[in-house]
Amino acid sequence: EDEDDNLGLEAWERSYADDRSWEALQEDESGFLRPIDNSAFYHAQYRRRLRTTARIQKGLIRYLYIVIDLSRAAAEMDFRPSRMAVVAKQVEAFVREFFDQNPLSQIGLVTVKDGVANCLTDLGGSPESHIKALMGKLGCSGDSSLQNALDLVQGLLSQIPSYGHREVLILYSALSTCDPGDIMETIQKCKESKIRCSVIGLSAEMFICKHLCQDTGGSYSVALDESHFKELIMEHAPPPPAIAEFAIANLIKMGFPQRAGEGSISICSCHKEVKVGVGYTCPRCKARVCELPTDCRICGLQLVSSPHLARSYHHLFPIAPFDEVTPLLNDPRNRSRSTCFGCQQSLLSSGNKPGLYVACPKCKKHFCLECDIYIHESLHNCPGCESL
Amino acid sequence: MIFKLEDVTVYFPYDNIYPEQYSYMLELKRALDAKGHCLLEMPTGTGKTIALLSLITSYVLSKPENPVKLIYCTRTVHEMEKTLAELKLLHNYQTRHLGPAAKILAIGLSSRKNLCVNSRVLAAENRDSVDAACRKRTASWVRALAAENPNIETCEFFENYEKAASAAVLPPGVYTLQDLRAFGKQQGWCPYFLARHMVQFANVVVYSYQYLLDPKVAGIISKEMQKESVVVFDEAHNIDNVCIEALSVSVRRQTLEGATRNLSRINQEIERFKATDAGRLRAEYNRLVEGLALRGNLPIADAWLSNPALPSDILKEAVPGNIRRAEHFLHVLRRLVQYLRGRLETENVEKEGPVSFVASITAHAGIDQKTLRFCYERLHSLMLTLEITDTDEFLHIQTICDFATLVGTYTRGFSIIIEPFDERMPHIPDPVLQLSCHDASLAVKPVFDRFQSVVITSGTLSPIDLYPRLLNFHPVVSRSFKMSLTRDCICPMVLTRGSDQLPVSTKFDMRSDPGVARNYGKLLVEMVSIVPDGIVCFFVSYSYMDEIIATWNDSGILKEIMQHKLVFIETQDVVETTLALDNYRKACDCGRGAVFFSVARGKVAEGIDFDRHYGRLVIMFGVPFQYTLSKILLARLEYLRDTFQIKEGDFLTFDALRQAAQCVGRVIRSKADYGMMIFADKRYSRHDKRSKLPGWILSHLRDAHLNLSTDMALHIAREVGNFY
Repeated sequence: EDEDDNLGLEAWERSYADDRSWEALQEDESGFLRPIDNSAFYHAQYRRRLRTTARIQKGLIRYLYIVIDLSRAAAEMDFRPSRMAVVAKQVEAFVREFFDQNPLSQIGLVTVKDGVANCLTDLGGSPESHIKALMGKLGCSGDSSLQNALDLVQGLLSQIPSYGHREVLILYSALSTCDPGDIMETIQKCKESKIRCSVIGLSAEMFICKHLCQDTGGSYSVALDESHFKELIMEHAPPPPAIAEFAIANLIKMGFPQRAGEGSISICSCHKEVKVGVGYTCPRCKARVCELPTDCRICGLQLVSSPHLARSYHHLFPIAPFDEVTPLLNDPRNRSRSTCFGCQQSLLSSGNKPGLYVACPKCKKHFCLECDIYIHESLHNCPGCESL
Repeated sequence: MIFKLEDVTVYFPYDNIYPEQYSYMLELKRALDAKGHCLLEMPTGTGKTIALLSLITSYVLSKPENPVKLIYCTRTVHEMEKTLAELKLLHNYQTRHLGPAAKILAIGLSSRKNLCVNSRVLAAENRDSVDAACRKRTASWVRALAAENPNIETCEFFENYEKAASAAVLPPGVYTLQDLRAFGKQQGWCPYFLARHMVQFANVVVYSYQYLLDPKVAGIISKEMQKESVVVFDEAHNIDNVCIEALSVSVRRQTLEGATRNLSRINQEIERFKATDAGRLRAEYNRLVEGLALRGNLPIADAWLSNPALPSDILKEAVPGNIRRAEHFLHVLRRLVQYLRGRLETENVEKEGPVSFVASITAHAGIDQKTLRFCYERLHSLMLTLEITDTDEFLHIQTICDFATLVGTYTRGFSIIIEPFDERMPHIPDPVLQLSCHDASLAVKPVFDRFQSVVITSGTLSPIDLYPRLLNFHPVVSRSFKMSLTRDCICPMVLTRGSDQLPVSTKFDMRSDPGVARNYGKLLVEMVSIVPDGIVCFFVSYSYMDEIIATWNDSGILKEIMQHKLVFIETQDVVETTLALDNYRKACDCGRGAVFFSVARGKVAEGIDFDRHYGRLVIMFGVPFQYTLSKILLARLEYLRDTFQIKEGDFLTFDALRQAAQCVGRVIRSKADYGMMIFADKRYSRHDKRSKLPGWILSHLRDAHLNLSTDMALHIAREVGNFY
C-alpha cells in the first residue's frame, strides 16, 4: 500500500518519507528535542550487545585496499546525487574512522573503470592524502572487472610482511563483471595469499561476490540506502579476528620517533620539502617524516607513537557488555542509585517512569544508554571500574 | 524429530518441520487410512519428498500388521537419485532410533543403460542398443550356444547372477542406482537383473513413470506388485500427457519402409529355421493352439512384458487361428503395412474413429479386429521363437504391431488422423498417420484399480479439481498447500502494458505487431540492467521466439541487452541446448550475468532448474497456449467435451497456465531462494486466467502488481532490489 506513495521517490528521499523522523521527536520541558519512541535506539543497542566480546586475537596491523567501482553503474542516481558521490563521501568518513581505530594500519585505494583497475594511492597511513587523491579522480565510465581489481590488489598485497593482515574491501556498484580470464582462479589465488575480501554491493546480491567473500573469509552485504551503506562500511573499521595461520606470536621491530624541536628546519623525507618545526625524526636513520604512523622512507623502519599502540590495545581487551537492568520502582536501594554513573543524569525518564538502563557486570554501577554507547565505542574503559 | 500424528509415530530426520509439511503428512495419512487416492499440491522447495517418504515409512512402522509397499514414480533419473538419497538419510535416522526393526529394502530401478556394469555393453550409445547388446549376451539360447562354443560372448555378471540363483539377494538398506552398480560390481552380479528380481521383495521401489503407465513396459510390475501398495507420482502435473503419449503411436513413411525390411528379415529367419530346426516353429504353433501363456516357462531374461492396459479377456483368449502359423502371420503384417502405405498416400487431412478404421482394414486388407488385437503378442512370440536378439533393429515392425493392437482393442477415446504434410510447412510432404489417445484415464486406470492408494503430487496442480476429471478417478483427499515463508521470496507481477502504455500480448492478432515486440524488448533491456546474475525468458513457441529475436536484432535491442548480459538461446537441438545451458551457468557463476531464451513446453521448461543465482528473474512472454489448429488437439478437445464435459476453453487455459506456472516455478527450488516473476501479457490480468495459477504464486501476487506497465514494473523491481 506504500507502493503508490513511494512511486517516483528515490532511495534517499524514501528514507525520509518512510521514517517521518520529525514526528518521532518531542520537546521536553527544558526545550531539548527528545525522541518519543526509543525502540529503534534500543534495537541498535541490542544488536551491538549481541556481538561477541570474547577475547579473541585480532589483526591489529592491517593492510587494507579499498576498491572503488567507478564503472557505468556508479553513475546511477538511485542514491543522491549518485552512487559514486555517496561512495566517495562514505569512503572519506571511513578512512578517518579507520585510522582512528587502527592507527598501526595502512590503506590503499584502487579504482575500477572501463574494465581496468588502477592503483590510486599506495599503501599509506595518512588519511588526508588518500582523501585528496580520491576526490580528484571521480568520474565513471565503462564496465567493471572484479578480476582485474583482485589481480592488481593481490600483486600489491603479496609484498607486505607476513605479520600484517591483508584485506580488500570492494565497493561494488555494477551488476556484472567483465573479466579477461577465469575469475575462479583469481579467487583461489587470493585465498592462497590469505587476502580477506569483503564486498559491499550497492545494487543487488551477486553470486560471484558472495562466492568470493565466502571463500576468502570476508563479509558480503548489500546496501539498501545511504544510511545503511554507512553502517555497513563502518562495520569494517574495527579489526577483524586474526586468521589462525597468522596467530603465531612474533616480534615486530618498530621505531618511536621523537618530535622535532620547535623552530628546527629540515627537509622532510616524504614530501621533499623544507619544513620548519613540524615532523618527527626516525630513531634509526634520523630522517625527518611529517606524520605518524608511517614507514621510514630511508631505512624502512615502522614508525609509530605510543598513543597509537595504546589506542589499538582496547580491541584486544574489550569491555564486557553491560547488562540490561529492569528497574524496580519500590526498591529503596534502587532509588539511591537512580542517576547514571557516567553523566549524573537521572535515570528516571519523564513522568518518573524508569527508563531502560544498564549496569556494568564488574563494578555494578548503573549507566544510561548514551553513556553505554560512549563507553563502549569511544572511551573503551569503564569509569566505574577505573574509579574503584 | 519424532512426533505423534494421530495414531502414527512419525520419524522425521530434521529438527524442524514446516507447518505445510505437517499438514501435508496429515492429509496423506488420512488418505492412507481411507485406502483411497489423493491429489496434493505443494510448492517445490518445501520438502515435499521427505515429508512424503517419512510419513509413509513411519506409517508402515507403526502398523506392522499390514505391510504397505511404496512405489515412487519420478520423471527423470536425476530425480530418482535425489529421492533415494533423501530416503537414505531418513532410513539412517530411523534405524538410529529404532534399531534394526526399521530396516527396509529400498531400490531404484532404471533401464539397463543406467544400471549395466558391463563395459562392453555400455559402449552402445542409446538405450535401445544397450538393451539389444545385453540381450545378445544374456538370452537363453545365446547362453546355451556359448556353453558349447566358448567364442560366443556372454556377460560374466549375468552368469554369476544366474549361478548364485536364489542366493543372489540384496541385504536390507537403501540403494541408489550408484549403490546398486557398486554392489553389483563388488559381488560380480548383474545389478539390473538383481534389481528386477528384488523389486518384488523391496519395501520401497523408486522408478520412472513409464514402468507403471506405459503398457509396453508396465508388465514388469503388473505381476509382481501387491495390491497393498502406495503409488506416488511425483511432479505429476503432466501426468495426463504421459498417459496419452504412452498409448499414442505415429506411423511415418520411414516406419513403413523399416517395417517392410523387418518383415523380409523375419521371412529369411523363418526360412532358415524351416531348413534347420522346423521343430521349433511347430512347437510354437502347438503352444499357441493350446493357448498357453507364452512366457510361463521361459527364464526372466527373455520375458517380454505384458500389457496391463489390455482388457483381461484378451489374455485368456487364445491367439486366433489365422495367425498361429508364422508364415500366415507374416502375410497378415504385410497386408497391414501395405494398407497403411495406401492410406498415407492421401492428399487430404483425414480423421477417423478406430471403429470405422478397423472396418476399412477388414474390407480392404481382410484383417479382422481380433487378429489386429493379437499382433503385439504374436510378434513377440515369433521373435522369441526365432531367437532374435538385436531387438533395436526391429523397432519399426514393433511400432506397427503396437498400432494394430491398440486399434483392435479400443473403440473409444482414440482417433486416427492422417496428415499429408505438417501444417506449418505445407510444401514439404511428410505424411504421418497418428493414432492418438484422447483419454488419459485409459493408461492410468489399471494403476488406480490395482493399487490401494495412489498419490499424485506436484508443485503445480492447479486447478486441482480438473485432474480427477481428466484421469477419471475419485480422490478421497485433494488439497493445495501454501508455502510458509519468513519473508517474501517470490515477487510475481503481471505486466499488461509496455512503456508506451499499449497493451502487450502474444494473442494471434497482436503477434506480428512490431510495437509488441518492441515493448517486450524494452522490458528486457530495462530488466537486464537492474537484475543481477541470471534471467530466464520463456516464449510461447520456437517460431515466435525466432521471430522476436530477429526483430530485436534488427532494432538493436539485442545489442543493448548484450551490453549488460550475455544471451543464450534454446534450440530444438539437444546438444546445442545443453552447451548453451552450460555456458549460461558459467556466465552466471563468474558474475558476467546472462539471459537464457527458452520455450515453454520445451526441454528446458520441463526439466532444468534455474535455482539460486541461475534465475533471479523469469519473464514469461505471452500465454503458452497449445497450437490450437493441431488436428490432434482438436480431436482431444472434442473428446474431452463429449466424455468429461470439460469445455475446450477451460482445458486450453488450464493447460497454458500450468505450463506458465511450471516455467516460472523453475526459479524457486528452496525456501532460501528468491526471485521475481513477470507474466508479460495482458491476458494474465483477467480473472479466469489468473485464478488458475497455483495458490502459492497467487498468494504473493498483490493487487497492486496486477496491471503494470514497463516503467512501473521496473520501479517495483528496483524496490524489491532490496530483497536481492
